[in-house]
Amino acid sequence: MDLQELKKLEQKRRVRYGYMWALFCAVLWGLWYLPGTVVWDLNPFDEMFGEIAAASGDDVSLVVTAVLISGFNALTVIIALLVWNGVLGKYGEMKRTLKEFKPCSKWFFLGSIFGGPVAILGSFIAMGFVGGAFAAVAALMYPVVGSILASQWYGEKISRRAAIGIFMIIIGGLIIFGGGLFAELGSGNIGWIGYLGGLMAAVGWGIEGAIAGKGLDIAEPDIGITIRFLGENIIWWIILIPLLAITGFPMIKYALLAFEPLTILVLVFAGITFGFCYVSWYKSFPLIGVGRGQGIGNLYGMFAVIFIILFFGDVPSWTLLLGGAFCLLGSFTMFSEETGGLESLRGE
Amino acid sequence: MAGNRPIKFRMLELFSDEQPHWNYEIVEKIQKEYNLKGNFYRDSINFDLIELASGGMLKDVESKLDDKGIYKKGFLLHKYMITDFGKMRASNVCLVYV
Repeated sequence: MDLQELKKLEQKRRVRYGYMWALFCAVLWGLWYLPGTVVWDLNPFDEMFGEIAAASGDDVSLVVTAVLISGFNALTVIIALLVWNGVLGKYGEMKRTLKEFKPCSKWFFLGSIFGGPVAILGSFIAMGFVGGAFAAVAALMYPVVGSILASQWYGEKISRRAAIGIFMIIIGGLIIFGGGLFAELGSGNIGWIGYLGGLMAAVGWGIEGAIAGKGLDIAEPDIGITIRFLGENIIWWIILIPLLAITGFPMIKYALLAFEPLTILVLVFAGITFGFCYVSWYKSFPLIGVGRGQGIGNLYGMFAVIFIILFFGDVPSWTLLLGGAFCLLGSFTMFSEETGGLESLRGE
Repeated sequence: MAGNRPIKFRMLELFSDEQPHWNYEIVEKIQKEYNLKGNFYRDSINFDLIELASGGMLKDVESKLDDKGIYKKGFLLHKYMITDFGKMRASNVCLVYV
């Protein structure tokens, strides 16, 4: 084999790694929906929802409970990430990266604002005020925001083929959640706050990805993502939860009640799936770019529906098959792209 | 200063002489400066170089087959050089750039 061919092969391998990470992200993200759904029915969150709903209504209760659940989710994620970095022997590099706040780690802290309170909370708001299907569809739009930002801001190349792939995966997701979406929108009387939540989800994760891409230029993904979750923990535990507690919501009382074996088990499962989904997401960005990484990451919608069917025994509807076909077609369009043009992901 | 800034910062700094460098030279240097021994760290550091190149901060100017096992037998060795974008990112992170 000559040098040129070997180089091509190496190139191909790099891109394949990138897609593999993005696919891991999608599978784990989909898997996260199991603990992410179950945790709402467990105490103390179930009781908390009831208590706040009685006083302030279902919608407010949903968002306030979501803050506490997100806080615990972020907490178990950071534990999983610290173990992961310990195994990789990266504490030294983590300290070095953290110290470089201005040039580097600020990007990850900024990412935590958009990915945490903006996207996650927005997603819960959309879920609460409109419905689960609307929230899922809104979030599917995030690669559009992410790839446009990455290309405008730091010139990330996005080929026509990749754009078509991303578009097809979005269509696939739309078909999967479409039925529910129309039912929710048709029920009428939806407050603007629900749509705002949907917008927050799409824009939040899109901006987070673009910002992360910027920080990852000069940092390692495993470390970048840990700093990002350090930021998210600060936001939930030092800012939002105390703030809600001061306004009179029973945050502290229920936070202390969370230490039940089953609840902790589910939260740990959520932390592991969410944590490694994010690790894989960040690892894919430097290899295939923010646009492609997010596009494949979007397959989470399909995986979530599949896992929920497998674990909760719901009957799959035909929309899943049709939508899933679009998702597969879109992924294949991206996977089969000629890797020659991807030597550098940025325009020179 | 050596060994106390993030590895990718140091890499950009090493390349800021605008000379091409072989990946194994850089990896060896970083391993020594940061006291990171063993093949696991070697590969992890080399991966940082791959990420820098894929992000457009370094460009691959020459490659050769490692048939003597200088770095990893049977694999490709790469000679990288900093790009304009790389220089810009290096100056963003406050590396002295002349």
